[in-house]
Amino acid sequence: MATTPGGGDRSITAESLHRDFGELRAVDGVDLEVPGGQIFGFLGPNGAGKSTLVKILTTILNATSGRATVAGYDVARQGGKVREAIGVALQDVGLDPLMTARELLMLQSELFGTPRDEARKTAERLLVTVGLDDVDPKKRAGAYSGGMKRRLDLALALVHDPSILFLDEPTTGLDPASRAAIWEEVRRLNDEFGMTIFLTTQYLEEADRLADQIAIINRGRIVAQGTPSDLKRDVGNEVVELQFGSSDEAGSADQALATVAPDRQQSNRELRLYFERAAENVPELVRALDGAGIRLQGLTIEQPSLDDVFLRVTGEALEHEVDEAGDEGFASPAEVTP
Amino acid sequence: MNDTLLLIGRSLRNTLREPLTVLPNIAISVFFLFVYNSGLSSVAELPGFQGTYLGFILPVAIVSAAVGGAGLAGQTLIKDIDNGYFTKLLLTPTRRLAVIWGPMIASAIVLTAQVVLVMLIALALGLKVAAGPAGFALVVVLAFLWGMAFAGYAAFMALKTKNAAAAQAATFAFFPLIFLSYTFVPKEYVTAGWLKVAATINPTTYVFDSMRSLLNTGWDWTSLLVGFGVTFGFATATGIMALWAARGATKMS
Repeated sequence: MATTPGGGDRSITAESLHRDFGELRAVDGVDLEVPGGQIFGFLGPNGAGKSTLVKILTTILNATSGRATVAGYDVARQGGKVREAIGVALQDVGLDPLMTARELLMLQSELFGTPRDEARKTAERLLVTVGLDDVDPKKRAGAYSGGMKRRLDLALALVHDPSILFLDEPTTGLDPASRAAIWEEVRRLNDEFGMTIFLTTQYLEEADRLADQIAIINRGRIVAQGTPSDLKRDVGNEVVELQFGSSDEAGSADQALATVAPDRQQSNRELRLYFERAAENVPELVRALDGAGIRLQGLTIEQPSLDDVFLRVTGEALEHEVDEAGDEGFASPAEVTP
Repeated sequence: MNDTLLLIGRSLRNTLREPLTVLPNIAISVFFLFVYNSGLSSVAELPGFQGTYLGFILPVAIVSAAVGGAGLAGQTLIKDIDNGYFTKLLLTPTRRLAVIWGPMIASAIVLTAQVVLVMLIALALGLKVAAGPAGFALVVVLAFLWGMAFAGYAAFMALKTKNAAAAQAATFAFFPLIFLSYTFVPKEYVTAGWLKVAATINPTTYVFDSMRSLLNTGWDWTSLLVGFGVTFGFATATGIMALWAARGATKMS
C-alpha cells in the first residue's frame, strides 16, 4: 500500500458532537471512530444531519458542543492542520463558473502551496483521472453539465494528495455512468493510496457496495453502526417480501400475520417478514392470508438488504429523492419505492 | 501574501471576462465629468475661484466612480458564496483574510484603472494638474485608498446579507455622501447652514479638498494630511467591519 504525503494519522473521531441551528438540533450526540484507510459510509435520509456533520469535521462549521479530531488534529483548534490533510467534495459543488477546469485546478493547487509548474502538471494529471482531459480547454466550468461539474469538484478535492477524503453525497443526481465512474475512483483512491474515505449517501446500494463500515444516521443520531454484512445479519437471515394491492391491505396483513411472523416491517404496499429459513414458512403465511381474506399480489424471498436494516432501526423506509435529477437524467441506484 | 496575489489575479481575470460589470460605472463617471464640466463651468468665473472648473469637478467623478465601483468586491463575494466557491476556498489552508482581501483589492485596482482613464480624458479636455505628475499620481493613490474603503464596506454588506440586491442597494446608500458636500461650488458660495454642517462631518469633503488642491492649487500639506488621514481611517474602519463579518460568514454558514 502506497502512502500519501502528509500520511501519518488518517483516522476520524468524534465525541458526543452536537450542532444546533436555533431550535433545530441537526447533530445530536454523534460518536465516531473511523480507523485510517477505511471507506466509511454514512447513510441517512435527507435532513438527517449528514452534511452538517461533514461541515463540522471539515472545519467549516463550528460544533455547538463535543469534540472531533481528523488526522489526529482537533477540528476546532487546529483547523489549518486539518485542512492540509483532507480533501473535500461537498454536496453542492464549489466551482467558479467563469474559470476553466485547468485554472480552477491550478489555483486550488497553488493555494495548497504547490509551485506553479507542478500545479500545472497536477491539473493535467487530475483531468485525466476524472476523465475530463478531452474537454475543450477553453470551456468554463459554468458551461459544464452536472456530472462533469461533480467530477471536476472531485478533482479539486485531490490536488494536494489528501490522506483523508470527505465526499458528501458524491453521486446524488448523477446518471448511472457518472455514478459508476465515481465509485470506481473512490475504490481506486482507497486501494492505491490507502486514503481514508468518509462518504455520506442516501443510497443504500452505494453504501453497501463501497463501504467497509457503515453508520446509519437519522434525525441527528447514529442509530446503527457496523460492517454491511454484520448489519444485515442482525436483521435476520432471509426476507419474505409480500406485495399487496394497497397499503391498507398491507396493514391488515401485518395484523393477520402477527403470530406466524413475529418480525415484520411494513412499507407502503409491501410487507417484509424476517425468518431464519423463509421457504418453510411460506405455506403457513399463505394460509393465514387466505383465512383473513387478503389477496396477495406477489411474494419474493431474498437476502436482507440495507433497506431492511434501515427500516428496522428507524421504523421507516429510506426515502429516495427522485426529483433532484442531474443534467443527464436520473436513475436511482436503489429501487424507488412508489 | 502569495495567496492574496493569486486571489487578486483570479478576481481581475474574472472582471475582464465580464466587462459589463464595470462598463456602466465607467460610463457614469465620464458622464459626470462632461455634463457638470460643460454645464457648470461658469462657476470658475466667480471671484476668488482658483484653477479650472474641470479640476474642481474631476474629484466628484472620481469619488462617484468609487461608490459605484465598490459594489464589485461585494458582488464577487456574493457570487462566490452562492456558487459554493467561497466554501471551496475556505477548505484550503489559505488565510481567511486572503479570501476576503482578494476581491477587495481587485475591485480597488479596477477602480484605479477607471480613475486613470477618467483623468486621462480630463487631461485631453485641457486639465492642467497644478501639483504636476506627482500630484496626478497622488490623486490616483487617494482614489485607490478610497476604493479600498468602499470595497471593505461592500464586502461587509455582502457577507452580512449574502444577497446581491441588498449589497448593491447598500452601496447606493453612499451616493448622498457625494452631494452632501461642497460638490459643485466652493465652500464660500454655500449658504445653507445644514449643508455646511453635513459637509463638515462628511469624509467625502476632505477627499474632495485634497484632490482639488493637487489639481487646482498645488501642494497644500494640511489638506493632503487631512484627506489621507480621513481616507485611511475610513478604509481601516470598513476593513475591520469586513473582517468581522468574514469571521461570522466562515463559521456559521
